[in-house]
Formats: sequence, C-alpha cells, structure tokens
Amino acid sequence: GQEFRFGHCRVQGVELQKLRKAFWTVKDTVQAQDHNTSVRLLRKEILQNVSDAESCYFIRSLLKFYLKTVFKNYYNKTTELQILRSFSTLTNNFIVIISKLQPSEENEMFSIIESAHRQFLHFQGAFKQLDTDAALTKAIGEMDILLTWMEKYYQ
Amino acid sequence: MKNVLQWNPPEGLTGVEVIYTVQYFIYGEKKWLGKPECKNISRTYCDLSPETSDYEHQYYAKVMAIWKTNCSKWAETGRFYPYLETQIGPPAVALTIDETSMSIVLTAPEKWKRNPEERSISMQQIYPTLKYNVSVYNTKTNRTWLQCVTNHSLVLPWLEPDTLYCIRVQALIPGPPRLSPPSEKQCVTTLKDQTSAMK
Repeated sequence: GQEFRFGHCRVQGVELQKLRKAFWTVKDTVQAQDHNTSVRLLRKEILQNVSDAESCYFIRSLLKFYLKTVFKNYYNKTTELQILRSFSTLTNNFIVIISKLQPSEENEMFSIIESAHRQFLHFQGAFKQLDTDAALTKAIGEMDILLTWMEKYYQ
Repeated sequence: MKNVLQWNPPEGLTGVEVIYTVQYFIYGEKKWLGKPECKNISRTYCDLSPETSDYEHQYYAKVMAIWKTNCSKWAETGRFYPYLETQIGPPAVALTIDETSMSIVLTAPEKWKRNPEERSISMQQIYPTLKYNVSVYNTKTNRTWLQCVTNHSLVLPWLEPDTLYCIRVQALIPGPPRLSPPSEKQCVTTLKDQTSAMK
C-alpha cells in the first residue's frame, strides 16, 4: 500500500484518502466560519521553503501543534457544528502519523532541524497574531492546504 | 483548470434589465479585485481562469446585481481551491495493434492556458499520482477488461486475432477523487492470424 515518505521518515498504515474525505465533509461548514480571509496561516511560501530533508521535522512540529493546540481547543466547537466524526478521524490519524515519525536527531541534522523549525514558527507566529477562536477556526479551515502538501509525500 | 463563475438572475425581475459586476479575492491577500471584462455585464457568467490560474492559491468570488437605481447585496462563493476542485478532461489515446497485441499510449490533458503561445503544462506535472482507468471491450465476447494504471503506456499481449476491440480511458486525480469523462471511443480490429492465412 501507499506510505508517507517525509525525507527519511516513513509512515505506513494511514490512508490519506480517508483524511481527505473527513475534511471534505466539513470544509464548507468550517471555512464559512472564517471571516478573516486576508490571513493565510499555511502560506504558499512557507510550504515551498520546506525541503524534502526538512519535511519530517516540519510535519512533526505542525501535527503536534494541531493536536495539542488546535484540535484540543476546538473540540467543543465540533459538537456545536456537528462535525465530531470527521474531527475524530483527523485527530486519530494525526496521532498515528506522529507516533510513527522517527526523525534522526544526529548532530549533522541540526541545521536542517533549525530550518524546518523556522518555517513552523512562521506558521505559529501568524496563528498567535489572531484572536484565539479565529485562529483555531482558520487552522482547521486550512487543513485542505495541509493535506495537499502532505499528499506530495504520499507514494 | 478553466474556472468560470456562474450565477442565476435575481428572482422577481423577469423583463427588467439587470446588469452584474464581479469581484474576486485571493485568500490571504488584502483586497477584493475587479475584472474589467466582468463589470456592468448582462450575461450571468464570468471567466475567472486567468485570475485563478495559480492553483495553489485559494479564492473567493462575488457578484452584485444592478437594476434601475437598485443594487443587490454581494452574493459570495465559498473558498475555492482549484487544485482540489478542478475537473479534469480525458487523456489522449494512441493505439497500435497487430495480431494478438495492442499498445496503448496515453497523454494526460493539458492545463488551461491563456493563449496558445503560452507554455503547456501537463496535468501529470500538477498531479504526479494521476492514474488512468483503461477499458477494453471485446465486441466478439461482449466482455470488458478494466485496469487502473499509473504509467502512460501499456501493452496488452493477449488479444484474439481478427477481433474488434473498443477502447476508452478516463483520467483519475487525487484529492477528492475526480474522474474525467471517458475519452472518445476508439475501435480497432486485430490482424488476421497469418499462420492460418497461409494454409
């Protein structure tokens, strides 16, 4: 079957199509809540600046942020918007991906780790500039961008 | 990736001359932008392909109706993501045949372009995991062979001589999976078996 190949990291057992479907069912509902359309968190230049070697470190930081900050604080909203099932699918699969990411921590990877972290900080910085609820809604609404970027590493 | 905004006229204004103005917005940018060719128009569509040609961006569009001295509120689309929402056309299909085999060469459709001189971009470049659903119908046995393939050329070595086969191919792209319309049906007859012909 297919697997994610983020640089030297391999992640098997995750069906990207399932994540796609989960998000697609909530896309319109969530994106309609985002009224701050002049801000894009996962900007094109951030994603384009992540090299193949950096991709494992970047995706780990990003998915951890989504789990610990975005999903955790957005949970109550999911029941209100009746999108809990899709939300759970996304959450569970992100947990699986993170658990399987085994990035190398050796010294010569330091500059790569640093560079990947810088790109993540651009994303996080934009997130922190927004009001919390607006930021959470925007981050959820941009998961089609995130999944499209992840798809480039799915072979 | 030809992206055309379409809308319905406002209700209750039949017989009244209504004109429309369209604007579009790039998600993450600052301002709504107009398109001169879609300002004060009477038709109910506006081709925004040039404005939305960067398929990695996301867009909104909105339209306002104007009649007599009135104007409507803006009617706005949801967030449009060409990469995930474009429809794809069928591939080009080239066939060569002999007694018992057929070679099929597939060419992915090209991305919409502003003018013929512009450099062509294959949808294969945009969607590296683009696949093809190949359908081969044996008119003698009434049976159809179906196969999903990723490479753009394949050989079918197990055909029967002197038999008419009809081929259709659809392109399949990821994201929410999208299947193209089938290619034009092409029918070819395999050559007669030369050995039996010489007896």
